[in-house]
Amino acid sequence: MSDQSICPKCGEKIPASAPAGQCPKCMMKAGFESRDAGSVDGQATDLASRRSGFVAPSPEELAPHFPQFEIVELLGKGGMGAVYKARQPKLDRYVALKILPPEIGKDPGFTERFTREAQSLAMLNHACIVAVYDFGEADGLYYFVMEYVDGANLRQTIETGGLTPPEALAIVPQICDALQFSHDEGVVHRDIKPENILIDKRGRVKIADFGLAKLLGVAEDGSAVEKPYTVTGTHQVMGTPRYMAPEQMQGSSAVDHRADIYSLGVVFYEMLTGELPIGRFEAPSKKVRIDVRLDEVVLRSLESAPDRRYQHANDVKTEVESIVGASDTRFSVAKPATADFKAMVRSQLKVPAVGLMVAGIVNLLAAAVILLLPTFSKLSGGFPEGLEGFVEGKATFAEATFVSIIIASCSFVSGILLVLGAVRMFDLQSYGIALIAAVVAILPCALGFPISLPFGIWALIVVLRHDVKNAFPDEHAKSERKQTPTGPVSVVGGAMVGGMIVGMVLGTAVDQDKIGEYMVLGMVVGLLLGCVIDANNRGKSKD
Amino acid sequence: MPKNESHREPIARERHFATTHWSIVVAAGDASREGAQDALSQLCEAYWYPLYAYVRRRGHSAPDAQDLTQAFFARLLEKQSLRVAKRERGKFRSFLLASLDHFLANEYNRARAQKRGGDRVHLSLDVAAGESRVNLEPAHDLTPERLYERQWALTLLELVICRMEAEYQEAGKARQFELFKDVLGGGRERLRYVEIAAELDMSVENARQGAHRMRKRYRALLREEVARTVVDPSDVDEELANLFEALGN
Repeated sequence: MSDQSICPKCGEKIPASAPAGQCPKCMMKAGFESRDAGSVDGQATDLASRRSGFVAPSPEELAPHFPQFEIVELLGKGGMGAVYKARQPKLDRYVALKILPPEIGKDPGFTERFTREAQSLAMLNHACIVAVYDFGEADGLYYFVMEYVDGANLRQTIETGGLTPPEALAIVPQICDALQFSHDEGVVHRDIKPENILIDKRGRVKIADFGLAKLLGVAEDGSAVEKPYTVTGTHQVMGTPRYMAPEQMQGSSAVDHRADIYSLGVVFYEMLTGELPIGRFEAPSKKVRIDVRLDEVVLRSLESAPDRRYQHANDVKTEVESIVGASDTRFSVAKPATADFKAMVRSQLKVPAVGLMVAGIVNLLAAAVILLLPTFSKLSGGFPEGLEGFVEGKATFAEATFVSIIIASCSFVSGILLVLGAVRMFDLQSYGIALIAAVVAILPCALGFPISLPFGIWALIVVLRHDVKNAFPDEHAKSERKQTPTGPVSVVGGAMVGGMIVGMVLGTAVDQDKIGEYMVLGMVVGLLLGCVIDANNRGKSKD
Repeated sequence: MPKNESHREPIARERHFATTHWSIVVAAGDASREGAQDALSQLCEAYWYPLYAYVRRRGHSAPDAQDLTQAFFARLLEKQSLRVAKRERGKFRSFLLASLDHFLANEYNRARAQKRGGDRVHLSLDVAAGESRVNLEPAHDLTPERLYERQWALTLLELVICRMEAEYQEAGKARQFELFKDVLGGGRERLRYVEIAAELDMSVENARQGAHRMRKRYRALLREEVARTVVDPSDVDEELANLFEALGN
């Protein structure tokens, strides 16, 4: 234990004599947190907020100030205020309500600055940036109303089992997108850290708190004064400076967008290695199995001189993507697609999906008609024109029934598959089922074949493009996730198939002449049953 | 780090005196009260190392420092030091240092008849032969007082850790302690809950809960330990802040 290790939390050296090998400062600090025992795990208040005396009001305390919202719960708090989940009944949506520390308002000129900053933040309209809906002041409390992101922040994601390098490499380009966009708009984030990088349930990255650091830490002369963390200070608005660029820590007035690129480098390093790049740190590829070329990207982002870093967030993205794209196909497979890309794929699959849906419905109707033909014929006293010859030409009535049952079954099954596949394709939900539907569509096995063939070919051309698969969720990842409620189409479809089979068996046993009616009846019962089961499922998943 | 065990031993043994509080000693204010005397000696036992380090840093050789520390405790406990221990004595930490300073000045004068001035005593080079832990301290840039505070903070943390470990061991959860102890410092975000849960054969959620409980328990013990050394329980936060600063660079 002669070598000194570095505390992953505060970044200071851990002395060799430290008890249990833990960082003594962080251990001592842990003693302070007793008052915040009830705070959200993973977003526990840091010492800075405790010291600055900011106590987050409870949802009940806050409610009178914000009659336009139903305050649901406190999501987290820190040096920069507290965030609540709130519902906006008028629009029937959830929002995130951020309250700034009250003492900030005592600062002369704050109101003006607040308005100016909030207006520029509201202009940041990007898929990877948490949108600012509104801002203002209510009874002395300055607040932002922001997009509510249902998911976890990157810190929590790292905590609950960490990230694999491919996952990290899928996140970085999205952060770059958001940063590039805001930098183009002239907004520097200044506080990029895992806590501010949110990941929603669909794996999309959303960056929160753009520009807040500047708003809360700006000095009279306009220069950034993000004061480093001290135990006795009274004005901290920042947490620990672990992710700050060197020029930011020095309080230099020349902080520009390249500070964000440095912070991105720290986050990147941490995502890959689980550690912070402090002191004489090792290249990431020495710690985890990744392409050595990524070392260069990380290290260049972490250059202490801004001039030697990447000059644009886009450059980082380009480098990462070229390395990932060229080196390992597994990376590109695992790469969750951006929202833009998904929207594009969805629009390309729209027409084939609708076509398959129509063909599927035609197949289902055809199956029903064929099965009910004998009944019609008996009612009307004979087979309809077209089929009469077909039936008479072929030996007996029983054989004809058998053939029609086969045709009807094929029609029915392909109909179900096409409808299911079309829905999955349209929602970009299941790559496998979408692919199967496209293949079924081009097989001449059902009466809707003339309709389904062109759409099937169309769908196959789109679906088989190598990048399109990325727009669908990873099947492996899906199976590891919690059981999701089964889709309505598969439930109803399955129940219908089951009903039809039961009807066929019953018909064979009871009255072979009426086998078609039994099967149709079975399908109808299956349809009803499926609807009931689906409604039940929805009820459960709501809990 | 086997050498370090030597000074951990008495600390570990000390844990059953956890109820001893400096406030009791101060409140008793009377050395003839046997309980207070015991309480004081137990506290001294727990916190001997910072005093020893302080004496060493003042330039005494290892054997001298050992003798001086021993003698100091003997004198402190024999003499009626407690008779003058009042509320103004403040924190146990400050009381001990003040008493030690007083003691050293007297002993020192007697032994060498030296006075303050240019003849600053240098660290003797037989440091390497002395207490192993002293060698591990990057003490060169610290004043003896700062070193004392720093050592005090470290000792206190170690007492807490030992108590904690003993608790987990008694509950048959020694392995759990090993796996979770990173939450006590800054390592919470680095805990691989998935792997830990697999090893302990529990769900990930339970593992997270376990880590959370451990942190909570640790906090309680830490505050309790600090409370032992201050006069008023409301001083705990202030003392924590002082010790936190003492650990700074």
